[in-house]
Amino acid sequence: MITYELLMLLRSVPKPELKTILKRTANAIFDKGGFIRKLENLGTREMPYKTSAHGVVYDRASYFLYEFNVPPSSIDKLFDEYGRDIDIIRRRIYKKKEAETFECTLHDELQPPPYRKNVQDLIAEARKLDKPKFKYNTGLDYYPFQK
Amino acid sequence: MIKNKMNIFLRKFTSKIITGNKPTFRACSSDVPQFDMENPFEKEKQECLLCKYNIEVDYKNVKLLSQFQSPYTGRIYGKHITGLCTKQQEIVEKEIVKAQSAGLMATYLKEPCYLKDPRLFDVEKPIRPHRF
Ligand SMILES: [Zn+2]
Repeated sequence: MITYELLMLLRSVPKPELKTILKRTANAIFDKGGFIRKLENLGTREMPYKTSAHGVVYDRASYFLYEFNVPPSSIDKLFDEYGRDIDIIRRRIYKKKEAETFECTLHDELQPPPYRKNVQDLIAEARKLDKPKFKYNTGLDYYPFQK
Repeated sequence: MIKNKMNIFLRKFTSKIITGNKPTFRACSSDVPQFDMENPFEKEKQECLLCKYNIEVDYKNVKLLSQFQSPYTGRIYGKHITGLCTKQQEIVEKEIVKAQSAGLMATYLKEPCYLKDPRLFDVEKPIRPHRF
């Protein structure tokens, strides 16, 4: 089950109106057969860049974050539905990030080139393209005849 | 060189026979030092800032992300400046693009409220020289 994050920039409106907007957007998720894990208010502030939506230019927005689960097939429909909502200035749906563990490779990257793993891999890759050398199969480590 | 190695080998072999397979400490007659210890000059393993303090980079954390952004052009600094490992740099770049797309973060400038944040790295002292 994939948890999605929906970040919505709403028109800055008084509280009662905001309530209906949030109810409408939440109901859209429920209608698709999903459920909401979290609803967070990230505050109302000036946007970093002005945005034109539905023929109006906005430079102030209320930020809201939904965390929800819906069937993946209905994400497109949900995104489209929010796009037609004139109270929503901007919306983005991302997958919720899961913590991944990995080893820090900075130490390796600071080595001189021949000691770095990616450089060694490149050299090994280039060696594969070398022309085959004829082997004499004499068991000697030198060529016994005159060249 | 080879002769010295042979000498060491022979001495080890004979001492094992004499003491009955029991390794013992004894004075070395030859000048050849016997090093069993690991490299004493090996440098301490370096870790990047985000790995060291185990910081989870997220697109909602704009205050952190904007520290990797140039105040003049809004572009993301390269990993030779930020001093991050390849993986962390990749994550930071992805999250910045996500934040900018979501309307959380400025694209062509660093937002004025973040301009006085402490510097995580010195732009003038990159690990490797700039491309230009
Ligand atoms: Zn790292």
